[in-house]
Amino acid sequence: MVYLYDGTFEGVLSGIYVMFHQKCPVDAARLMHKDRYQYGIFDEVVLVETQVEEAGKVASSIIETFGQEAFRRIGYAYLSEDEAFGTILFKCLKRAYKLGGMAFENLSDPDILALYKCFNAVARESHRMLGLLRFMELEKGVYYAPFDPTYDLLGLMVPHFTERLNDQVWVIHDIKRRKAAFYNGHEVHFGELDPLDTMSLSAREHDYQKMWQGYFEHIAIDARKNPKLHRQMMPKKYWKYLVEKLH
Amino acid sequence: MDALDKLTILADAAKYDVSCSSSGSDRKAVKGMLGNAAPPGICHSFSEDGRCISLLKILFTNKCIYDCAYCVNRASNGDMPRAEFTPDEVVAITINFYRRNYIEGLFLSSGVVKNPNHTMELLVDVVKKLREVERFNGYIHLKGIPGADQRLIDRAGRYVDRMSINIELPTTQSLRLLAPEKSRSEMIAPMGYIKEQIAEYKALSKRFQNTPSFVPAGQSTQLIVGATQEVDLKIIKISEALYNRMALKRVYYSAYVPVGKTEIATPNQLNLLRREHRIYQADWLLRFYGFKADEILTREEPNLDMEVDPKCQWALRNMHLFPMEINRVPFEALLRIPGIGNVTARRIMASRRFGPLNFDSLIKMGVVMKRAKYFITCSGQVFGGIDLEPMKLKQQLIDAPKSQTSQMSMFELYPGQFSGGGASYGLSV
Repeated sequence: MVYLYDGTFEGVLSGIYVMFHQKCPVDAARLMHKDRYQYGIFDEVVLVETQVEEAGKVASSIIETFGQEAFRRIGYAYLSEDEAFGTILFKCLKRAYKLGGMAFENLSDPDILALYKCFNAVARESHRMLGLLRFMELEKGVYYAPFDPTYDLLGLMVPHFTERLNDQVWVIHDIKRRKAAFYNGHEVHFGELDPLDTMSLSAREHDYQKMWQGYFEHIAIDARKNPKLHRQMMPKKYWKYLVEKLH
Repeated sequence: MDALDKLTILADAAKYDVSCSSSGSDRKAVKGMLGNAAPPGICHSFSEDGRCISLLKILFTNKCIYDCAYCVNRASNGDMPRAEFTPDEVVAITINFYRRNYIEGLFLSSGVVKNPNHTMELLVDVVKKLREVERFNGYIHLKGIPGADQRLIDRAGRYVDRMSINIELPTTQSLRLLAPEKSRSEMIAPMGYIKEQIAEYKALSKRFQNTPSFVPAGQSTQLIVGATQEVDLKIIKISEALYNRMALKRVYYSAYVPVGKTEIATPNQLNLLRREHRIYQADWLLRFYGFKADEILTREEPNLDMEVDPKCQWALRNMHLFPMEINRVPFEALLRIPGIGNVTARRIMASRRFGPLNFDSLIKMGVVMKRAKYFITCSGQVFGGIDLEPMKLKQQLIDAPKSQTSQMSMFELYPGQFSGGGASYGLSV
C-alpha cells in the first residue's frame, strides 16, 4: 500500500494519522510525496487529504510521549527533503510507540537511527550555514544574502539572524527553491523570490569585500597549506556565494 | 597606507596565534544592539591551511619594542613590513565584517609600542568604542599585555568576553633564553588577578541582578612547543596546573614555526606538527575524559607516542584493565576505551537501557572498531580473532599513514639540507 501526501509537514503528519488508524503493517506500507512518487503497476495507492486538526493530534501525541526534542528532530528530518522521509517517519514512529518514552535515544535501533540520520544531516548543514551565509550591502542599506543549501534551511536561518542582526534590514534568499525571508528591522515575512538579475551594491561594499578577501588570503600559514583539509571543512558546493572564494 | 594594506600586514602578523574559538559566552541578543554570542561558537570560514576562521584575528600593530626569538614581530626582524591601525579603523572593519556575517567577533592582540601601558590603553580604547559607541554585542577576545597596569586589565575585563595572557614558553629557563625582556611573573600575576575578578563578579551577580559581566567566557593562554627542550609530560603538567589552579578555559599549543632568520635550531617540522596534534589530544583527555597528567605520561615514559594516540598509549600501559564489557562498565570507564569518544559514550549509555548492544549497533553509533575491538567485549564476545599481547597490539593500532605523509619527500625529511634555512617547507599535514 502506498500513501501519498501533498509535500507539506501537515500533510505528512496527516498521512501518519491515517496509517495508524488503518493499522498499516510496518513492512507493507509506504508514505510518499505525491509529486515525487513514480507509479508502480502493482501499487495500491491512497491519496491522503491534509487535515490540520489530525496533524495537530499526531504532533501533540509525539510531544507528549517522546518530548519536544523528539518533535524537533522530526521537523528537521522533514527539511532534509529525503525521498523516503514519509516512510522513514512511519517506521520510526511505529517502533518508537513500542519502545516508549525514551525511544528516540535508542540509536541502536535501525528505524530510530534512520530518522536521526535525516535530522543530523539537516542540523549539521544548518549550523554550518549560520557561519557561511554572506550578506552584501545593497543601495539604501539593505543587506542581501543569497544561498543554495542542500536542504531546506531558510526557516532555520531566520531566528538566528533576527536576533543577531536585529538592527539591520536584510533578505535571505534561497536561490534554488526560489523563496526568501524579508526582515524590515522589526519582523520577518516569507515569500517567493526569483533569482535577481541585477543588484546595485552600496558604495563601500566593494571595499569591504576586498578587505575580507585580503584578510582570508593572509590569515593562512603558507607553510601549512592543506587544500584537501580546506575542501573537507568547507566543501566546494558552498563556494559560489562565499566572497573569499570569488576572485 | 590604506586600511586594506594595514589589514593584510596585521593579519599576517597575527596568524601564528592559535586561538580562534568564539565559544563559551552566552551574550543574549538585545533589541537595538548589534550581535550576540552563541555558546557553541560558529566557524565562518576555513583558511587554506584548514583552520577555522571565527574571529577577525589581527594585531593592533606589529611594531614591537621586544625581541623574542620565536616571534615573527620581534624588533630585530628588519625585513618585516610594519603597520599600525587607529582604533577607529579596527572598529569600522569589525562592525562591517560582522554585519556581513564574515565573523563572529574580534580577537585583538598587539605588539608592544612605547610601553605596555600605552599599548594596553589603545586596545581598551578599541573595545570601549565597540561596546559603547557602536553598541556591539558580539564576541571580543582581547590579549592582555604583560606588564600593563592592573587598572587597565580591570577596565578591559568589563568589555570583553575572553582575555588571554600568553605564557609563551613552558619554563622560566626557556623564557630567559628566548624572551629575556619578558618575565614569568608579569604573565602569571594578571592571570591570577583575572581569575579572582571573574570569581568575585560571579559571586556578586548571584546577589545583584545588574552586576556587569567580567570576562564571561574565561581566560585562555598559549604556549609554543618545540622551540625549547621540554618533554611532553612537563607541558601537560603545566596545562593541568593552569586548568586547576588558574581556572583557564583553554590552553593552546603552537608548534614552533621558524620565522625569518633566527639562531634557534630549526627542528623537524613534520614531527613537530604531529607532536602538536598529540599534545592537543592529551589536552582533551585532561579536560573531557577525566585523565590526570600523571596517568597520560609517566616519568619512565615522559613523551607522547607519535605512532598511536595518547589514549591508546595509556591503554597499552594498562592492559590489566581490559577488555571492558560494553554493556556493563560505567560512563567514566567507557570514556577510557580507545575508539570511543564523548558523544559515542553518551549514545551507548542511552541505548544500553533498551537491552544489550551488539557489535553491529556499536559501529552504527560511531565506535571506531579499528581501535576499540582490542579493548572491549560485547555480551562476553570478542570481536573476531584478536591478539592482546601489547607489543603486537601496538603494531595493529599504529595510525595508517595518511596520503600526505606517504608523499613525504627527501625535502621534507631533511628540511635543513634542502630549504636553505627558509621558513617554508611546503608542508601540509
